[in-house]
Amino acid sequence: MQGKGVTMRCNYACGSHESLTRRSFMGGTAAGALSMLGFGGMTQVQAAKKLAAQQKQVVVFWLSGGVSQLETWDPKPGTETGGPFQAISTSAPGVQISELLPYTAQQMHHLALVRGINTRENNHGKGAYIMQTGRKEQPGFAYPYLGSSFSSHLSPPDSPLPGYISVGAGGSSKEATFLGPRHAPLVLSGGKAPANLEMHASMTTERDKLRRSLRSKVSQRFEQKRKTAHTEVYNESFDQAAALMSRRDIFDFSHFSDKDVERYGKHDFGQHCLMARQLIEKGVTFVKVGHTNYDTHSENFNFHIEQLGEFDRPFAMFISDLYDRGLLEHTLIICMCEFGRTPKINSRVGRDHWGTAWSIAVGGAGIKGGAVSGKTNETGTQVIDREVNGGHLFHTYYQAVGLDSTEEFYPNGQPIAKADPKTEAIKEILA
Amino acid sequence: MFRANMRVYVLLLIVFSHPLISASVEAADRSQFPEAPLIANKPILPAEPPLHESIDRLIQNRTADYAKLASPLSNDAEFLRRIYLDLTGRIPTIEQTRTFLKDQRTNKRAILIDQLLNSPEYARFVAQRLDVMLMQRMNKKYIDPAKWEEYLRTSVAENKPLDQLVREILSADGTEKEHQAAARFYLARDGEVNELTRDISRIFLGADLTCAQCHDHPEVADWKQDHYYGISAFLIRSFVFTDKQKKQTVLAEKAEGEVKYESVFEVRDKTSKGPATTLPAVFDNKKIPEPVFKKGEEYKVKPAKGVRPIPQYSRRAQLGDAITTDNRRFARTMANRLWDMLLGRGIVHPLDADHSDNPPSHPELLDVLTEQLMAHEYDLKWYLREIALSETYQRSSANELFQEQTAKELSDAQFTHALLKPLNPEQYAWAVMEATGLAEVHRNSLKQKLNEATLRKNLLGYERQFVSLFGGVPGEPVKEFEAMADQILYLSNDQRIQVILPARAGNLADRLLKIPVDQTPQLAEELYLSVLTRPPLQTETEEVTALLAEKKGQDRAVMVTDLIWALLMSSEFRFNH
Repeated sequence: MQGKGVTMRCNYACGSHESLTRRSFMGGTAAGALSMLGFGGMTQVQAAKKLAAQQKQVVVFWLSGGVSQLETWDPKPGTETGGPFQAISTSAPGVQISELLPYTAQQMHHLALVRGINTRENNHGKGAYIMQTGRKEQPGFAYPYLGSSFSSHLSPPDSPLPGYISVGAGGSSKEATFLGPRHAPLVLSGGKAPANLEMHASMTTERDKLRRSLRSKVSQRFEQKRKTAHTEVYNESFDQAAALMSRRDIFDFSHFSDKDVERYGKHDFGQHCLMARQLIEKGVTFVKVGHTNYDTHSENFNFHIEQLGEFDRPFAMFISDLYDRGLLEHTLIICMCEFGRTPKINSRVGRDHWGTAWSIAVGGAGIKGGAVSGKTNETGTQVIDREVNGGHLFHTYYQAVGLDSTEEFYPNGQPIAKADPKTEAIKEILA
Repeated sequence: MFRANMRVYVLLLIVFSHPLISASVEAADRSQFPEAPLIANKPILPAEPPLHESIDRLIQNRTADYAKLASPLSNDAEFLRRIYLDLTGRIPTIEQTRTFLKDQRTNKRAILIDQLLNSPEYARFVAQRLDVMLMQRMNKKYIDPAKWEEYLRTSVAENKPLDQLVREILSADGTEKEHQAAARFYLARDGEVNELTRDISRIFLGADLTCAQCHDHPEVADWKQDHYYGISAFLIRSFVFTDKQKKQTVLAEKAEGEVKYESVFEVRDKTSKGPATTLPAVFDNKKIPEPVFKKGEEYKVKPAKGVRPIPQYSRRAQLGDAITTDNRRFARTMANRLWDMLLGRGIVHPLDADHSDNPPSHPELLDVLTEQLMAHEYDLKWYLREIALSETYQRSSANELFQEQTAKELSDAQFTHALLKPLNPEQYAWAVMEATGLAEVHRNSLKQKLNEATLRKNLLGYERQFVSLFGGVPGEPVKEFEAMADQILYLSNDQRIQVILPARAGNLADRLLKIPVDQTPQLAEELYLSVLTRPPLQTETEEVTALLAEKKGQDRAVMVTDLIWALLMSSEFRFNH
């Protein structure tokens, strides 16, 4: 039996080894500025436009199971590990990607590639954790997930909209950790709007108004001689709920044009991309879209033809649409998964889990389109230039949306570094 | 004052000057009657003022002008609602409210406290509070949470001393069927040494040592890396083991394995003398020495593939005693946590920040509570009873000073007024079911089969719904009060809430609609007593009368339903005040 945990395992949970002085934590500078602008008195369209002009947003495409870097962002055609597919030129000069992504290739000038990832992790859960928290899992301490962090940094504090919505990508309230339930993912299961946004069938607007005003009266009488710190929070949540009901249009996914449906595809992923586009247009801060079935231990190539055949076009349409609508410049796009796949092709014509040398694509806000960071060797078995891990990626995401990644969270007064202080941003792909 | 202090001092002398005698007597008792029912033996104590009097004295003495600043005592209705919520997790039925308000006995509050402490709802509810404290609503892993909950419930029902309960939990490894449930504390955390170190020090020792894992705590001078690894050392040899034949997962242990640590600051500054190690120790208490075995004789059952090893000497087996026996820090943390449970704020606050830079608001009081809890052998019921009997607990949450700008003088830490405690999910669910009469409908339908367990089983769905909506993030300690839009959407629009409001034989709306149309004051009284556990004010009766004037048939039914909802959703209902 191997001695467990006998060596010191320090992941700098508290980040205090870097800096002992407390820096003031301004709950997200963009959010702070936005709330000061004030949205009172504006129409929804105006407000949405203003929001779009100021606010940074983030979309993660999560390819669960682990898409093959060799069949996507880092092809090695003609080598023993390369598989049957060719590399094709893209809209970014000098950048080639797999021929399985012809539509995406036309958007490469909006995207940057990180080809030197080494997360040293071949376990689905642990790999997913690294990629979504920027750290290795540390028992006894839970870092917030990307969606929850950005929800807390970038969502206006008084926004009626949820800060983090997951479309077909699952999610758990645990992701928010110390940031609290307000920043937990709202999971749109089955592509449906959240529950209870509509008034109950037996209720009428007039009755609802009356009962709410009665509620306020009873509450005010109670609050007269009492401390109101808690009651204010409680009463505000009624206003928030009412605001969310009035904005339930963001969840009305019944109006996509036939042309859009044709361009994105009728399959779930195409639908989910359209939903994500609408959520971003309506001002939701963080959207996670899922596409699955990439865990190709057997028949890697056939599966990738099939899965990427579904993924490529709506992903490319999404980028192109965001660009056309002027949303791409303030929306960060991240296409990632828990790890890549082995260069070695196994006996079942599959590829296995591989965290040693793999790639992701990022684009949009703060990203230098067409840039490439990192390099793997000829057969893709190791990183030979600019090796990075989850920490570097987190610094990069933070800085891409204009946040200081070297700041700390202060749950319970303890400093927790937002991104691993041992790493830094991948500057060469930042605009 | 001096005399009172003397009494405490003498009492302490008696208790503490004979630790050896009392410990050996205790041990003998336990071994002689291993199967004896676990009822707290009340020690015979010298005459002393009851604890609740000491509480009030020490709270009042601590704040200049306390008498001027303090809220008056709560009225009967306010007290009634509060004590029901705190001890049984629900509001009283309208009959219970009427009976109590009519009761003319001067000691009726004390009588009620005793009655509630002996109710089955008390056992259920306090067990739920302990469950949340210990497990933070963590998900199921290996052990069925229902069995764990039942273990806690029976423990509270028989008033098992709190130190014994904690000892049992920290001693359970899941191998013995009868103690299997108690192993949930370890197993739900997968036996993970850092997670356990964090939670054991937080929950039982009032110290969140997370930051002392990699170096001495940078902001808390008292907390050293040695403290962290002193706790870790108890658990470093333990691991989760699944016996495939028995289909059972337990916490197993090896005979070897040491913690090793050095400060990352010293590593960085190249001043480290290399990794240190420590024997198990709870804070600054003595390090626990261990026997040495000849090589090859360290195990009762040697490790082998598929075999659970059993060491001759178990480090983990020492933990329960090291935490709970003669450990003032444990007693102090428990005293503070239970105080917080009833008062809504710890004397040390936050609860897991007990160190010299964050002194208690009332140091003398916390000392007395700690000593008394130990002297009374961690008698949970006795302790909660004494707090509930205090004037401090029974103060009103209303205070004239809150109307003025100067209300800032009223700091929560002075306990001049009752704090508003957000209903926890279980309280909230049961309060809603009681107020709307849903609980009564089910009581009626259960007839002879009615008891606490059957009623809960019938309505468990609602409790679960509230826990999932209001229970926070699983695995995270409960934070500051937070109210979310999705909660309000559920309460406002969801079928499951809307359906329990309108009239149905025996529920509140039904009772209200049966009151003659010209008797609206009676209706207002029935409504307010049922939902807010108090009679309506004159203005409220008038308001109800005006709203129902001329309303007949369906219009009247609808208005009654909306009135119930408005009261249920008021801040007065949302908080235990």
